[in-house]
Amino acid sequence: MPEALTRLRACAPMVVALVLAALTLRLAPRGALLPDWLPFALAGLALAWPALRPAGVTRDDTLPALAVLLSSVGLAVVARLQPELAQKQIVWLGFSLVLAVAAGPVFARFRVLAAYKYIWILGTIALFVALALFGQEVNGARLWIRLGPIQFEPVEVIKLLIVLFMASYLNDTADVIARTRPWSLRANAKYLGPLFLGWGVSMGILVFEHDLGMAVLLLATFVAMLYVATRRIDLVAGATGIFGLAAWWAATHYSYVERRIAVWRDPFHDPLGAGYQAVQSLFSLANGGLFGTGYAQGRPDYIPEVATDYVYAAFGEEWGAIGSIVLLLVFLTVVLRALRVAQRQPDLYAKLLATGLAAVFGFQIVIIIGGVLRLFPLTGITLPFISYGGSSLVTNFLLVALLWAISSERRTA
Amino acid sequence: MTDRAIARLAAIFVVLFALLALRQFWVQVVIGPKLAENQYNPRHSQIATGRGSILASNGTPLAVTRGEKRTYPQGALVAQAIGYASSRYGTSGLEDAFDRVLTAHTDAVDPLTQLRQIVAGTQGAPRGADVVTTLDLTIQSALVAGLSRHARAAGIVLDPRTGAVLALASIPSYDPNQLDARWTSLLKDPASPLLDRSTAGLYPPGSTFKIVTAADALDAGVVTPQSTFSDNGGLRIGNFTVHNDEEETTGTQDLAGAFALSSNVDFAQIALKIGVDTWFEYAAKWGLGQPVAFDLPVSRDRLPAKKDVYAGILAQLGFGQASLLVTPMRMALIGATVARDGTTPRPYLVRRIAGGETGVATRPETIAQPITAETAHEVRDLMVQVVKRGTGTAARLPGVTVAGKTGTATNPHGRSHAWFVAFAPAEAPRVVVAIVIENVGYGGTYAAPIARDVLRVALAQSRS
Repeated sequence: MPEALTRLRACAPMVVALVLAALTLRLAPRGALLPDWLPFALAGLALAWPALRPAGVTRDDTLPALAVLLSSVGLAVVARLQPELAQKQIVWLGFSLVLAVAAGPVFARFRVLAAYKYIWILGTIALFVALALFGQEVNGARLWIRLGPIQFEPVEVIKLLIVLFMASYLNDTADVIARTRPWSLRANAKYLGPLFLGWGVSMGILVFEHDLGMAVLLLATFVAMLYVATRRIDLVAGATGIFGLAAWWAATHYSYVERRIAVWRDPFHDPLGAGYQAVQSLFSLANGGLFGTGYAQGRPDYIPEVATDYVYAAFGEEWGAIGSIVLLLVFLTVVLRALRVAQRQPDLYAKLLATGLAAVFGFQIVIIIGGVLRLFPLTGITLPFISYGGSSLVTNFLLVALLWAISSERRTA
Repeated sequence: MTDRAIARLAAIFVVLFALLALRQFWVQVVIGPKLAENQYNPRHSQIATGRGSILASNGTPLAVTRGEKRTYPQGALVAQAIGYASSRYGTSGLEDAFDRVLTAHTDAVDPLTQLRQIVAGTQGAPRGADVVTTLDLTIQSALVAGLSRHARAAGIVLDPRTGAVLALASIPSYDPNQLDARWTSLLKDPASPLLDRSTAGLYPPGSTFKIVTAADALDAGVVTPQSTFSDNGGLRIGNFTVHNDEEETTGTQDLAGAFALSSNVDFAQIALKIGVDTWFEYAAKWGLGQPVAFDLPVSRDRLPAKKDVYAGILAQLGFGQASLLVTPMRMALIGATVARDGTTPRPYLVRRIAGGETGVATRPETIAQPITAETAHEVRDLMVQVVKRGTGTAARLPGVTVAGKTGTATNPHGRSHAWFVAFAPAEAPRVVVAIVIENVGYGGTYAAPIARDVLRVALAQSRS
């Protein structure tokens, strides 16, 4: 097949996604997505994304398409909840797409990233220090850094850096660690020591930033990558166990964590105080029922922080259990396709990197949605592509752009 | 090998997402309908729309819907009992207890009729029923005016003949019209303005409880009005010593004197004569510690466990201390029981529900008879002496015989709570009052004058 034709074919999933996105965004209230030409410009950028891939390879083009589809649903939801935030969100979306398009050719050489493992970990530590020094506390957790007019959430970047570090480090040492016997203390310490830096970061987040959600997310990703690289269950159990103890300690020593657990166990104990948000989000879901109230027909505005932590409850109210389960299926498709990318790559580094990205994306969804549905205590992290938030949107587009690059396979004629 | 591990991870994600989907279905579809009915759900309380009114006995509006807004024309005057209906903070008071009655329902008619109404254009906006209370705003104003001289106080006024609540107040109060704006500060206020002290407040009854001790002793026959008692300023029971408030001694007195001068030493001895078993038998007859069926929730009184009551505790129970805690509502019911020949009326606040064509009127009921009519008359005479020559002279009214009992309840939170329980006219009681003022001192000094003012107004109202 000639190159031009394959490029055109690569755009097919994106065209479908853009049609669905257009249908979704037509629902948005008038004036929320001004100026009028902006959505068209964004659609152009989105089309350029799969079209501008390097010659001679095929990539998994459904990944960019699903990212665009999900972000359009997110934009429609935010526009309905807080129109003034939608204005900002659409700017962030444009910025994310520009980055993604630019990253298309750049990330083609993603394997060079393997060489910079200590850059990633140093970057992580630097962001931590910055957070500790300049961070702003919101609801008991220290999550934000303000740079002039822009607020940004370093943890969103940290989650990518940790995956990059883990992939590099495990790429070098996986074989040795896999062969080391669990009881050989010295060998284990030697190879696992630096690795547990990654684990230490999640502990650090837990202890210093009081951000239980991000800590659990990083730990789950760490464990998943460690398992895939070494298949050593003892390490998985050990890391989880020690973290579990730490979490228990945090739950009994930090009133912030303690409160969240109390609210999870019985939100109706203090329905107008501590449990207010949780109770209102449950009412929102209950009001939606099977089919939902319909777009902009529900009253999710009773929920505080609805555009960020509880966006999924608002979605559930208006799109119903059916709409929410469809959304879950779309998310799951992204995760499974990303893991398939990992399986189809020949080298361990690419496998580990794709696995890590899939895991960090998948676990984030499970943690926040499980929290909103009260399967476990709610921890304030964003729902990828749906929640309002610039840092989250940019990071997730970069994540998908990287996965898309990893999915490259030499085109066989 | 690595690929197998990746496949396992994929399987884990499939399981996790399946769990989320099941949970989604559970929350939204299975338990959703019940969850949506919860009183804190602001949706079903698009609350003000079509909501019925709450009215005073004479029809004066206490809570009405104007347009989409619920307003309370009397403001802080009857705040806690009427309660609030806020789309943010749910409901309380009568707004909560009668929510179903007040709420506008559309499902009252069958679908076919409804369709016909829509076609014919005769379908009016649905409207809830009105709730007509027994409250008399003149008495309520007198009660609130009296109580408002103090920081924290409660009072309740009953018609003993029926059990109708003529007024009930809790100080500090709040303006329900400002609820949404002031919510946080109301919740944080250490004086708990949202709390209805008259039905939910639990206090040691102090010497007002001597009404019960005297009634039990007379009814059981362990004392007679002619019995004499001697008070030398103290009574030692085991390692516990009973003494009077100012360490005064009342000397040798008959029952009326001991009651009028409120001797703790004498009533400790009377309680010991009654004995633990009989004391608890009578407590059950009075309904102490049992729920009160009222239109608003009433806190249960706290009694000590029978096994913990040894002589020293029983002696203190005789003058309403130890671990005994009661509501002002309970003391009003005790007063009403003495006032009406030993039977206890069921208290009620809602006189009538005026819904569309049908209305439901409350019928007065008797819920208990702890003592005989004869005992009740003897206790009434004791209470008359209190106001005539004892600790309650501040409650005297010209031309009316007032029966009353003071209480000065020691408590761990500061100065004593001042109590007064009274009814009038003693010969044919029409009004019962129970007043408690937190942490001010003597009942005869602080509570009795307020009771007198309220009785004067209430008697004038019930004559007209």
